[in-house]
Amino acid sequence: MPHKCTKCGREYKDGSTEILKGCASCGGKKFLYVKESELNKDVLEEKSIEEIAGESNEEVLEVSEPTVKDKAKKEVEMFDRVETIRIVSPGSYELNIDKMAKTDERIVSVGGAEGSYIIDLMSMAKDEPKKKRGKRR
Amino acid sequence: MTFAKTLGRAKKKFSLFLNRFFKKKRTRIGIYGPPNAGKTTLANRIARDWTGDAVGPVSEIPHETRRARKREDIVISGANGHTVTIDIVDTPGVTTKIDYHEFLDYGMEKDEAIIRAREATEGVAEAMHWLREDIDGVIYMLDSTLDPFMQVNIMMIGIIESRNLPVIIVANKIDLAMATPARIRSAFPQHPVVAISGLEGRNTEELYEKMIQNFG
Repeated sequence: MPHKCTKCGREYKDGSTEILKGCASCGGKKFLYVKESELNKDVLEEKSIEEIAGESNEEVLEVSEPTVKDKAKKEVEMFDRVETIRIVSPGSYELNIDKMAKTDERIVSVGGAEGSYIIDLMSMAKDEPKKKRGKRR
Repeated sequence: MTFAKTLGRAKKKFSLFLNRFFKKKRTRIGIYGPPNAGKTTLANRIARDWTGDAVGPVSEIPHETRRARKREDIVISGANGHTVTIDIVDTPGVTTKIDYHEFLDYGMEKDEAIIRAREATEGVAEAMHWLREDIDGVIYMLDSTLDPFMQVNIMMIGIIESRNLPVIIVANKIDLAMATPARIRSAFPQHPVVAISGLEGRNTEELYEKMIQNFG
């Protein structure tokens, strides 16, 4: 089953990699997945693809621009990290001082690779009651 | 009733007014900077000059200070008679990477080096905690024989600026031949920079004057 560009209605074959770059005709980034039987519905009923997209429950596929986002991600990587301390190996640490400056909460990442964390729940719960009491006074 | 209320309010206002004038002004100053910049040497210098006491031991091995140390009620007086009362907090060196291998080069045993690395990591967390909770002003220390554009310095100055804390940048170790304090001045033109030798006590008078100006 094919995709159709919601802007200009250009048809793309199922599994086409072309749409990843956006529509070749109009540069549109949104595509609707259409059934074979309803392939010409837009022309026959004189509707735009966007209207059909609203009628059907089919999800509109949005193509993102990977190049721009990837670049931004690399720049903020250090600040973006969820952990405050990364234990690379015993006795070897990477510290996220930006995060430390903002909060006492400690999330510790273990090993060089991402995806393994230790979360110090005590560090997140500790100061809360004190602060609340202070505010009430 | 209304008269009593107005009188009460006036009394309150007057006492607030008096407090503002007669309250003992004390500012808590944190000495921050990368490891081995000479933070403890300066803290000791300040404490000795004004109280005759020391703050902590110094060493050429990085991360000698792994817990923040505080010396309270130091009164610094300047040439024109102005004074400022401060608490000095000597903090562990802030860095983004700590690896025990670095300490092995100084002849330390592996077990000892690993413990030092762990304590140093906790020390950085403690230093950052102080910066957030308890510090009113910062002396940011740099080794003027090294490149000031290290990532950690840029980040720390940014953090200090974002918290609106007054900061004096100290270009330390001008007793060494390789020192180029001018490089630090051009790196941070938005802040006062004082070139000193904490070890020899050179130019510390200028630092004290700047402290009175900025932290008073």
